[in-house]
Amino acid sequence: MQYISNTNLFKLLDNLKNDYRVFVPVKKGEQRFYKAYTEASDDIVIGEVRPFEPLKAFFSRSREVVATDFSAEVPHAKDKPFCIVGVKACDLKGFKIQDHVFKDHDYQDPFYIKNRKDNLIISADCTCAIETCFCLALGIKPHPQEDFDINLSATGDGFVVEAGSEKGTKLIEQYVSLFQNAGNAQINQKDKQRDSIIKEVEKNIKENEVPDQENFENIIEKNYESKMWEEEAKTCVECGACTIICPTCHCFLLYDQKDEKKMARFRIWDSCMIKDYARVAGGANPRPKLYMRLRNRFEKKFDFFPKVAQVYACTGCGRCISACPAKIDIRKVLKQLVEK
Amino acid sequence: MMDNPYRPIRTEVLEVITETPTIKTLRLKPDEVIDFIAGQFIELTIPGAGEAPFTPSSDPDKKDVMEVTIMKVGKVTEKIHQLKKGDIVGLRGPMGKGYPIDDFKGKEVLVVGGGCGLAPLRSLMYELFKRRGELKKLLFRGGCKTPQEFLYKSEISQWQKKKDLDLALTVDKGDESWKGNVGVVTTILEDLDMDCKNGIAVVCGPPIAMKFSTKKLLELKFKEENIYLSMEKNMSCGIGKCGHCRIGTYYACKDGPVFSYDKIKNFHEIWD
Repeated sequence: MQYISNTNLFKLLDNLKNDYRVFVPVKKGEQRFYKAYTEASDDIVIGEVRPFEPLKAFFSRSREVVATDFSAEVPHAKDKPFCIVGVKACDLKGFKIQDHVFKDHDYQDPFYIKNRKDNLIISADCTCAIETCFCLALGIKPHPQEDFDINLSATGDGFVVEAGSEKGTKLIEQYVSLFQNAGNAQINQKDKQRDSIIKEVEKNIKENEVPDQENFENIIEKNYESKMWEEEAKTCVECGACTIICPTCHCFLLYDQKDEKKMARFRIWDSCMIKDYARVAGGANPRPKLYMRLRNRFEKKFDFFPKVAQVYACTGCGRCISACPAKIDIRKVLKQLVEK
Repeated sequence: MMDNPYRPIRTEVLEVITETPTIKTLRLKPDEVIDFIAGQFIELTIPGAGEAPFTPSSDPDKKDVMEVTIMKVGKVTEKIHQLKKGDIVGLRGPMGKGYPIDDFKGKEVLVVGGGCGLAPLRSLMYELFKRRGELKKLLFRGGCKTPQEFLYKSEISQWQKKKDLDLALTVDKGDESWKGNVGVVTTILEDLDMDCKNGIAVVCGPPIAMKFSTKKLLELKFKEENIYLSMEKNMSCGIGKCGHCRIGTYYACKDGPVFSYDKIKNFHEIWD
């Protein structure tokens, strides 16, 4: 295990700017957001908890061109790949879904695959928990265990560094002078901090009575006709924030634009909460009511994905709770589903 | 380099045939051959306007030219109806799974179609006529709202003359010219001269027609796994990624659009 000082980490990021568009989490008020890295500044928070935006935004862009005219060429963006710093374990779990959809199953998506190959992930342990955190209920610990290139565990003056991929190992080799071997005290500090954050999340889960995923089998089918869906959907304003902000939601809409003679096909993120999402041209709509679409969102996460990819499509990041103007709380929905 | 699954193939409109006041058939010549199996679908692009899914209605063995029969129902189809000979459109496909025709060998086969559902079935019928010798029996049951709305009138009247095809047609509402049965398509599913228990049934039509036909076929003791349905869902990407056409644990675009009834019967919303 390696160690990197705060100063050297910023030196590393300065160097990475040559090959990557480096994004770091910054704190504004009580929220954390990704910002393009220019230089070391006080608002950068590598630890703490997940930023407001989901990691997926760096891998399947919210709006991108996927075809131009009838050209066989794949219109990849010409920009440098992303280096995303401070990625949290809950976001990394999103890859279990995103990879399944875009990379590993049936047909492959050239855009996602290229980003997945080229982007660099410098993840970090959570150093606190916020009220909406419930990752442990989904079997995730609040520190990255897989799907990162290098991981940082904050120790105050620097970070314990772990390589999680060949790319990460090579990166450490390339900038070897910035790293040193981690001492036992630093490693102990990392372990102690990890334990204490786990306790914080455990406390959250207990206080909010969030059920564990062990209890999720068949919860949708058992509750399909439940009145709960209508109750929960009462305040929904169909804004789609829950799906946009979710690290596992992957749906998109294709649309074409014509400019003079050139044609471009775009894809933008779509939301199954929007009325016309499943509507066919003839007008038939399998889910005309909001509660049906809310139920469908849960069905996709807690019935479809466990059946096709053996994983629940929720990471316990709690973003949908923070983002929902109607205060629909996934933890409370799950609690009701499990109780019945 | 990896192919781009979102790219349409440049395609020329060779001819536009008006079938009914609301249905047209396009004869299309793509720059690259799109080798499809009956029941598979394509995405048709109107440059700049968008794309929509359709199942070809032509003979899959005619590789150069593809025919697609399209009802005017929405934004994209309205633009499609304005197309003229020589216009350029785009095609993506073939997508999904078609009819498992090889499995029909030695079987008695019933094909049931309603309205615009006759389009994909014409493609299937061409195949079945070619392989008629392999089939024990072939029955066709077609329905439409009115005689005017019947697709492929002249072709179907040729089919009526075939001795090796048991054919019956119906309309919901007849007129002076109509001599056949009047009633919904299930009314011509009575007294089928076939061994329903071991037979194959292929159904394509509006959801309501498929729902009631399936119900009827089950009453007639067709096995669930021998009833093939073409599911109409909002297919967009065509490769199981965009999410729109999900049916239970499947996507209609990559796992269908043809499903045997046993595969989907336990899912919600299949007829909606």
